[in-house]
Amino acid sequence: MALRSAQGDGPASSRWAGGTLKADFNAKRKKKVAEIYQALNSDPTDVAALRRMAISEGGLLTDEIRRKVWPKLLNINTNDPPPLSGKNLRQMSKDYQQVLLDVRRSLRRFPPGMPDEQREGLQEELIDIILLILERNPQLHYYQGYHDIVVTFLLVVGERLAASLVEKLSTHHLRDFMDPTMDNTKHILNYLMPIIDQVNPELHDFMQSAEVGTIFALSWLITWFGHVLSDFRHVVRLYDFFLACHPLMPIYFAAVIVLHREQEVLDCDCDMASVHHLLSQIPQDLPYETLISRAGDLFVQFPPSELAREAAAQQQAERTAASTFKDFELASAQQRPDMVLRQRFRGLLRPEDPTKDVLTKPRTNRFVKLAVMGLTVALGAAALAVVKSALEWAPKFQLQLFP
Amino acid sequence: MASEMESSIEASFSSSGVMSATSGILPPARSRIFKIIVIGDSNVGKTCLTYRFCAGRFPDRTEATIGVDFRERAVEIDGERIKIQLWDTAGQERFRKSMVQHYYRNVHAVVFVYDMTNIASFHSLPSWIEECKQHLLANDIPRILVGNKCDLRSAIQVPTDLAQKFADTHSMPLFETSAKNPNDNDHVEAIFMTLAHKLKSHKPLMLSQPPDNGITLKPEPKPTMTCWC
Repeated sequence: MALRSAQGDGPASSRWAGGTLKADFNAKRKKKVAEIYQALNSDPTDVAALRRMAISEGGLLTDEIRRKVWPKLLNINTNDPPPLSGKNLRQMSKDYQQVLLDVRRSLRRFPPGMPDEQREGLQEELIDIILLILERNPQLHYYQGYHDIVVTFLLVVGERLAASLVEKLSTHHLRDFMDPTMDNTKHILNYLMPIIDQVNPELHDFMQSAEVGTIFALSWLITWFGHVLSDFRHVVRLYDFFLACHPLMPIYFAAVIVLHREQEVLDCDCDMASVHHLLSQIPQDLPYETLISRAGDLFVQFPPSELAREAAAQQQAERTAASTFKDFELASAQQRPDMVLRQRFRGLLRPEDPTKDVLTKPRTNRFVKLAVMGLTVALGAAALAVVKSALEWAPKFQLQLFP
Repeated sequence: MASEMESSIEASFSSSGVMSATSGILPPARSRIFKIIVIGDSNVGKTCLTYRFCAGRFPDRTEATIGVDFRERAVEIDGERIKIQLWDTAGQERFRKSMVQHYYRNVHAVVFVYDMTNIASFHSLPSWIEECKQHLLANDIPRILVGNKCDLRSAIQVPTDLAQKFADTHSMPLFETSAKNPNDNDHVEAIFMTLAHKLKSHKPLMLSQPPDNGITLKPEPKPTMTCWC
């Protein structure tokens, strides 16, 4: 079901076509493909390696690979039957009208040049998937922008698998966006300014004086940038990254984009309209690989737990987004190579206090932070972020990890 | 999102025709700014209306607005250069509850939009008006009511007299228009310019005139309460 194979997300991609480096690139790419297949074929599947592949340069490279790896990242068994409903959802769903309006208008999400008939067929499938997931999960509420996420999965993995993947995603990474209100979404947005403040206080202060708010990043966050990036290759590259990481990673990535545009922002008039306008127009030629690795680094340096207080202060709200990320079952225990990380992590922690479960309070522990920094060098920051975040955010996972 | 949808500032300064007198040069930093928020149900055409005014044409494709989009255009009124900022908001209810209120800050005027071919969007107006009251401290902020899509004549569900009655009850002038109608470029223009003139002169926007007389404006001799389709 290579719906967009004609687009060619392979070696032709410009960021890879490094002229004289092409041979080198091809070799690198070939090696990565081999590593991915090795991880896929090992028994049990080496999910941690797949995560690292999804994060590291180039991500998962092709849609063919994504069709195999995305389900692993979401812990979906592709042999399970897809979610179904016998009911006539279009007649009974309270969200049908809104979904219909949004999907009909979402022409830009489909590859340019796709015949209208094919696109319309996909739009119908898109509506069906969304209504199905909403019907099966009455606790989830549709939001405008959800369709931008679902269409990405539909285009990459096809209808059957898309329903399974998006259902899992909706009850995990997207869970907060699908609350009855957007209070938790707003809270997640409140992490944006504290992250910027850690890295660039001048930029932070400028934006605060402009009272720009954070709504310019709302569509980035709740669509995983699917709504604002016109090149689908960039969208799926980011989805590789986000699927492999903590649910808050998109807000770190948003911060990295703002930081990347520091000079433009500071050159702006210091008022809400100017800054909002500048930032909401996302440049289409961002250096994605650099930004991805930077977002990973920031996540490790300034994990959500460190920023939680600032974020809460932004809103004077007690409740943290973390509360809804408890169930991080995706990082399941059988994912063998995590063991390596675990042992290394433990080894580094042990000298400090072998008896205490230091991982419950990593932010107060300088050694943990140093350990993290050390591991960063060895493994790549973002890959580590997966593990570290799971420790911080998922008591259940932590139990599995440290039996 | 589409570059063309989000380049309204550039478009507004480079477009010809109606804009020729005011385009080309950025307004001096100290020109006055009128901040106008545009609200109403999903799919009533808020994005198209604001785009039409700022870029001078109907957009090819629009998507659901997520959060708040911003468009701006510089105009000249009685020799004064003024920036009109239009804040285009998401229609879905969940966005307005916790997201949009930040953008009500320092708003000078409100444009309520409904879809003339969708009675539900008209019936939502009281809740939008209520919403607006909660966010805006000042009660005397000019507000106007715009019925969009009047070009779809055969599908009209909201009769003009009903809308007019509602507008009168809420002391707002009513405009019926179409952001799409290509022969109608002046009308969307006139609506926002009406508002701008009122803001400039600081007069209350609604005078208790009979609706058919429209609102008298020096540079806009045309009656505003018409559907020019």
